[in-house]
Amino acid sequence: MEGDKPSSESKLAHPDVVAGLVLIAACAAALGSTTTFREVPAMLSQNVPPTFFPRLILYVIIALSLTLMVTAPRRGRPRRDNIRPRVFLTALLLVAATLLVPRVGMLVTVVLLAMALPFSWGERHPLRIVGLAFGLALAIHVVFVLGLGLRFPRGAFWDAWGG
Amino acid sequence: MPELELAVALVTDPLVVGLVIAGTLVGVLVGALPGLSSSMAVALLLPFSLYLEPVPAMALLSALYCAGTYGGSITAILINAPGAPPAVATAFDGYPMARQGEAGRALGMAAFASTIGGIFSVIVLLFAAPLLARLAYGFGPPEYFALAVLGLSMLSSIGGESPLKNLIGGCLGLLVATVGVDLTTGVERFVFGVPELYDGIDFIPVLIGLFAVTEMLTQAGRTGLPRVSLGLSATKLPTRDDLRRVRGTIFRSCCIGTFVGILPAEGSTMAAMIGYNEAKRWSKEPEKFGKGAIEGIAGPEAANNAATGGSMVPTLALGIPGSATAAVIMGGLQVHGLRPGPYLFEEQPGLLYGIFFSMLLANLLFLVVGIAGAKLFARISLVPGTLLWPMVFVLSMVGAYGVEQSMVDVWVMLAAGFLGFVLKRHGFGPAPIIMGLVLGGLVETSLAQSMILFDNQWTRFSTRPVALVFFALALGSILTSAVRALRRGAVSS
Repeated sequence: MEGDKPSSESKLAHPDVVAGLVLIAACAAALGSTTTFREVPAMLSQNVPPTFFPRLILYVIIALSLTLMVTAPRRGRPRRDNIRPRVFLTALLLVAATLLVPRVGMLVTVVLLAMALPFSWGERHPLRIVGLAFGLALAIHVVFVLGLGLRFPRGAFWDAWGG
Repeated sequence: MPELELAVALVTDPLVVGLVIAGTLVGVLVGALPGLSSSMAVALLLPFSLYLEPVPAMALLSALYCAGTYGGSITAILINAPGAPPAVATAFDGYPMARQGEAGRALGMAAFASTIGGIFSVIVLLFAAPLLARLAYGFGPPEYFALAVLGLSMLSSIGGESPLKNLIGGCLGLLVATVGVDLTTGVERFVFGVPELYDGIDFIPVLIGLFAVTEMLTQAGRTGLPRVSLGLSATKLPTRDDLRRVRGTIFRSCCIGTFVGILPAEGSTMAAMIGYNEAKRWSKEPEKFGKGAIEGIAGPEAANNAATGGSMVPTLALGIPGSATAAVIMGGLQVHGLRPGPYLFEEQPGLLYGIFFSMLLANLLFLVVGIAGAKLFARISLVPGTLLWPMVFVLSMVGAYGVEQSMVDVWVMLAAGFLGFVLKRHGFGPAPIIMGLVLGGLVETSLAQSMILFDNQWTRFSTRPVALVFFALALGSILTSAVRALRRGAVSS
């Protein structure tokens, strides 16, 4: 059981130190980005330029991240299990489904996703999988398309086929 | 009495009543399903509520909030898997009672105590919110800024891995709220040439991503544990003897829950834990706690439901969310073009009475639903995660898409979900980020207006006594949490 193995992080830096460093790096990049904001006359901004608030927040995050790093040893090292492969597979399926919507349409995507996701999570009962996939697509069509009048993408494939 | 006429009109409006009933049923079900929380349910239903007028929409979401908080107790008692975090404390004594063959008595007490707690807090909401709003009429931008800072500072004490991480999460939410065109100057900020970001990052896809997608990935990483439902013959209302034993506990928990709920950012989970601890502290037989004490169910259940009404007090009266779910509801008000705060009481009395009425009705309804349908809900809660989570994701995708009918929002939802998962693994929960996101507009606007008012001199905040009190409370909140965290660190090391 891969997910149950304790991680071998003990030789590495404290996770909060790593988190703090990542946050500070991200804030530095965001601070750099604020220098590209268009400048406006002081009269228009009433001496509160558009960079004022984002920079203030970024400085606060940097200060808090530094505190997080400095105080990390006091908190001890939290035990975190490795991420199970199923998480990556799920994420991949979600991305694939989102990419698929403009191509095959929302309802076909729902059917495919509702078959692939339960299977990847270990469901092996074919009737349950097929029932969920078509039942869900039908419910979505009835409630959202017929009931609420929502217009889902039909998909490039169906558009081309249907003219 | 125009207010009374409004209330009567709402009570007799079939659409509002129907939505409250639907919200209660869905809420109890969602609350009972482990992993699904009322915050997630409100976030998922928010896009669809846009198809409704504000009053019915808020009635639906408020009912869902109340019922979802109660629903968690069903699975906490029957399968030792609290449907939602506020029900964790209920499992301490609820499950041992169920194992002793007293599941019906435990469920009956949970439903009864939750109803009393909920009704108590709605009555407080009815009187306290307008009073608080009247006080807030005199607030200017400096007071609002200080109040928002107080709200954010309270994030340090809402639990989670570390107060610092909660504060960082709140600031990240504030930062996300700055994306888009600055309304005062028309300058684009952090848009990186993406036209869809000019209007800012849509609130709803981020909410859905942080609550639903993050939780789905978390669940994907868990080893499935077989859940066994204990036998349940019939749910029983508390006997006179039980009522005599728990009346003090319920009253104390009602007060605790409402007070904790009123504090900005503090929600039902903390209220339930304090309610449980106080029930144990005041009990004549504290040694029975953890082994099936009836007060151990009454205490947390009355407290967590009392926190629902309490948390709506600052949300409606001040525009400062009292809990994560209240933040989502507040986001719903904003999406409907309404500005929570004191002026809401003048501009939208119908909406407020709609919320009061729907919460009151939901609290009464889930008593009936809880007593009559606990067995059914318990059975539904055993639906395998392999089927449940695909449904949640499909609903999330449709919800995110439905707001603007744009796939960009689906991508935003996914990005928020993936980021939320990474952050959650490192101890940064979604609730503080949501609070920051919801408060972002208020914080920036009130700070900018204050700086203009004070001619860019920070020191002039000291000329505003109310703002100073809020700043002092904020500092006190952060220091208290810091000291507590240091002590905890010292103990653990």
